[in-house]
Amino acid sequence: MVPWTAVALITATTFFSCLDTGSCHSCLEVFPSIEYQCTDRNFSEVPMDIPSSTQNLDLSFNPLRSLAPRSFSRITGLIILDLSRCDIQKIEDDTYQGLYNLSTLILTGNPIQSLGLRAFYGLPKLQKLVVVETNLVSLEDFPIGHLVTLQELYLGHNFISSLQLPSYFASFSSLQHLDLHLNQIKNISDGDLEPIKLNSNLTLDLSQNPIQYIQPGILKGIHLSGLILRGSFHSSTIMDACLKGMTGLQVDKLVLGDYKNEIRLGSFESNTLDGLCEVDISEFWMVAPSEFPSDSNGFFKCLVNISIFHLVMAPIEELTNLPTFPKLFSLVLTECNFDILPILPSTSLPSLKELRITRHKDLTTLSNLELPNLELLDLSQNSLTVLSCCSDNTFGTTKLKYLNLSYNAHIKFSKNFMGLENLESLDLQHCKLKDQNNLPLFFSLTNLQYLDISYTDTHVKSKHMFTGLSNLRHLKMAGNSFQDNILHDIFKNLSELVSLNISYCHLERVLQEAMESLHQLQVLDISHNNLQTFDPLICMPLWNLQVLNCSFNSLTALDGQNLEALPGTLVSIDLSGNPFDCVCDHQIFFQWVKEHIHLLNRSNPMTCQNPSHMKDVSVLLFDNITCQMKNTIIAMSVLGIMVVILVLALVYKFYFHLVLLVGCKKIGGGESTYDAFVIYSSQDEEWVRKELVKNLEEGVPSFQLCLHYRDFIPGVAIAANIIQEGFHKSRKVIVVISKHFIQSRWCKFEYEIAQTWQFLSSQAGIIFIMLQKVEKSLLRQQVELYRLLRRNTYLEWEDTSLGRHVFWRRLRKALLDGRTKSHNKVAEQGTR
Amino acid sequence: MKIFMAPFLALVLLCPSCHSKWTTHTACKDDKLELLYQSCDPLQDFGFSVDHCNNPLSENLKIRFGIILRYNIKELFLDVNLFAMGKSVYSFSYPVCETDFPQFSFCGRRKGENIYYAGDINKPAFPIVKGEYHILLRLYNENNSTVVCANFTVLSY
Repeated sequence: MVPWTAVALITATTFFSCLDTGSCHSCLEVFPSIEYQCTDRNFSEVPMDIPSSTQNLDLSFNPLRSLAPRSFSRITGLIILDLSRCDIQKIEDDTYQGLYNLSTLILTGNPIQSLGLRAFYGLPKLQKLVVVETNLVSLEDFPIGHLVTLQELYLGHNFISSLQLPSYFASFSSLQHLDLHLNQIKNISDGDLEPIKLNSNLTLDLSQNPIQYIQPGILKGIHLSGLILRGSFHSSTIMDACLKGMTGLQVDKLVLGDYKNEIRLGSFESNTLDGLCEVDISEFWMVAPSEFPSDSNGFFKCLVNISIFHLVMAPIEELTNLPTFPKLFSLVLTECNFDILPILPSTSLPSLKELRITRHKDLTTLSNLELPNLELLDLSQNSLTVLSCCSDNTFGTTKLKYLNLSYNAHIKFSKNFMGLENLESLDLQHCKLKDQNNLPLFFSLTNLQYLDISYTDTHVKSKHMFTGLSNLRHLKMAGNSFQDNILHDIFKNLSELVSLNISYCHLERVLQEAMESLHQLQVLDISHNNLQTFDPLICMPLWNLQVLNCSFNSLTALDGQNLEALPGTLVSIDLSGNPFDCVCDHQIFFQWVKEHIHLLNRSNPMTCQNPSHMKDVSVLLFDNITCQMKNTIIAMSVLGIMVVILVLALVYKFYFHLVLLVGCKKIGGGESTYDAFVIYSSQDEEWVRKELVKNLEEGVPSFQLCLHYRDFIPGVAIAANIIQEGFHKSRKVIVVISKHFIQSRWCKFEYEIAQTWQFLSSQAGIIFIMLQKVEKSLLRQQVELYRLLRRNTYLEWEDTSLGRHVFWRRLRKALLDGRTKSHNKVAEQGTR
Repeated sequence: MKIFMAPFLALVLLCPSCHSKWTTHTACKDDKLELLYQSCDPLQDFGFSVDHCNNPLSENLKIRFGIILRYNIKELFLDVNLFAMGKSVYSFSYPVCETDFPQFSFCGRRKGENIYYAGDINKPAFPIVKGEYHILLRLYNENNSTVVCANFTVLSY
């Protein structure tokens, strides 16, 4: 009992867990047949349903445990393989055999215990190998000697205790980055770096190692591109000694210091960096020293020949006694304790071209600078309030090309960048700008190529806001506003503009002429506005447009008729986040969307907002066929209704004819009782009784006539009698035409029925008797009858003996026509 | 037997979807202050503790924190929202790691790597007024992928 329940439970659990995750064994298809993401899917081996063309496979967080030989040989297209934290303990020989194109292999967080000597064989193009936190103890037995194409090798967060680089590093001629951070390296001693001596492109990261000793002179003759020693010395004394040991090293970039959360270097004397006098450095970084020596001259003593200097998170309030830095090209002061701009005499910094003083929360005032050669000035992320911005006097230079004042407090304009005509880039984002509407602010900046005024509380009123910026290529002004929330033609002069960002601007309308002159525009971002319509015609003048972002507006659809106005150069359109109205009125637009799916943003699908049953459904599921179906259904039903109405009208009109037809079928050629049914006006009854009945019924041969006063069954409707008794049971019909006949309605009705009857029984059955001459005008009232009488022969009643004789003879002859023997018998019996 | 099986079955069947909520842990507890937290990252829980739960909070908070990274944190950003009585009272964002400014020792750590941090948080001491507070904390990387998401509850007696 219990085992069965267990089996059932396991099956049920598997089943339900499959339902829950939605895909038990398949991976997320990021890019069809190229990129698959299989993170955390509980795979214990490489999934079989990954196509062999896959280039990027993420298998991280799966319990793969061990990798057998040729595990991936099926997926020969792989370029990037991520096996982070897959609990891999053993990598057997030839595991990656067959991955001829693999360039990146990531093995972070695997507790590797056993590595085959040929574990990394068959990776002829591997450039990046990440073996961070993999229990590595030594480089000596790490079998990567044959990976000569390696460019980046990450060995951080392991237990490597010796920097003794194996001799195979000499063959890694392309190696650019060797990361050994957070290991247990204590010493740099004789021969450790010998194999990389000739590789001057290499950056060596030894951060967070407990380095205690560098054998003096051991780095002599070694040229490194970078050496990072952050958090590597546990005390200033150790650092002092180690730096002295670095004598003779040539390094392009040297990084010293600590981390914000791990400050170990206690006291910092002015002679701590003395060892660097014997080191050839071009770029020097000092990060988070616990204190800064008051005698900065001593601190900088050995740094006077550097070209680039970064001082980060240093507790320093002012720079005094600066020595002369003849080569210093770039000075960067980040998050120090300056509350005023440090005094930087141009005599000390004759070559300075780039100055960045950023992230100082107490730096509120902009004092004048005197640096005549300065080309780049970055004062971003301080708390500056600039009361009068800006001219060449403010910065003491006319050569400024790049000015960044972003992420400060307030900037008030009054000097229109006078004397700063060389500016090519100006970044003012996230500052509260004032007086920017007063005059054409940027009028003199004819060389400006990049302007960022995003989120600056700018309310654009003037059409001339950007006048003068004839060379502007990039304009970012997100998060501002426009007068009446309408975009006018404010970009008139910006004919060189390549990219434009006007997102988050509360725009409700874009005027047709707004972008008329932007023929060079390639990227337009108008997302996150309140546009309810966006006429594609606006894009008509944008001949070079490649990227269009209209996402997160209030668009219900684009005008289907004008979609052809969108430039053919487009490679990307984003329309996601709009409340699309998925109704048949917009079917041209949705058809267009389906046809241009390759242009649309894949990660953020377009969804319907209306109608309610389509809410949050992808617009791609909107079915144009339903629209065509609807049209057909409407057309068909209209046609159907018309047909039904027509039929009903005909039935109403020809009701009795139909009854006759039905009767015909019922009786279906049954024997007729009467020879003739007489249609006459009751006014002519006397003639019928005295002449017609007497002559025909009593004469020879005798005819049986059907007369309404005699033969109609009482109690039955007249119409029914006319049809049942009159027409159905009679062979012929005699119509007695007179003046009264034409005036009588019943006669007219009977006559019409007679005509139908004649038509249906397809025999000449109506005999007309013209009882008296009827005036033509009267006869014409009965158009049908008049026409008939003109075409057919009829009998004319003549009250002379000869006339009577001819009349009766002709009538009898007509009545006899088509008479059968049985009729004769009946007639004969009737005579007796 | 049947009575025993019913809840067991329900638990097993519903469990694949039941790890949407992680259990609430206690970070620290004292007579006057209690700090609880719960992970709001659907992918994983994390470990966090504070050594002393004094009210007013002392200047040096000794904390321990452990997590396995699901994403690279070359860039890392923090969003904090403080709620008192159901209303958002205070919120701020802070760039923790930036490519050109890796100020903390854990910046640049990789997906799959384990982070264990034991150390001080230095901040001015401040008293916590009696009441119940909620803090929603989210750390995310440059692709807006959630690295840590936590709901803290502060109970001050």
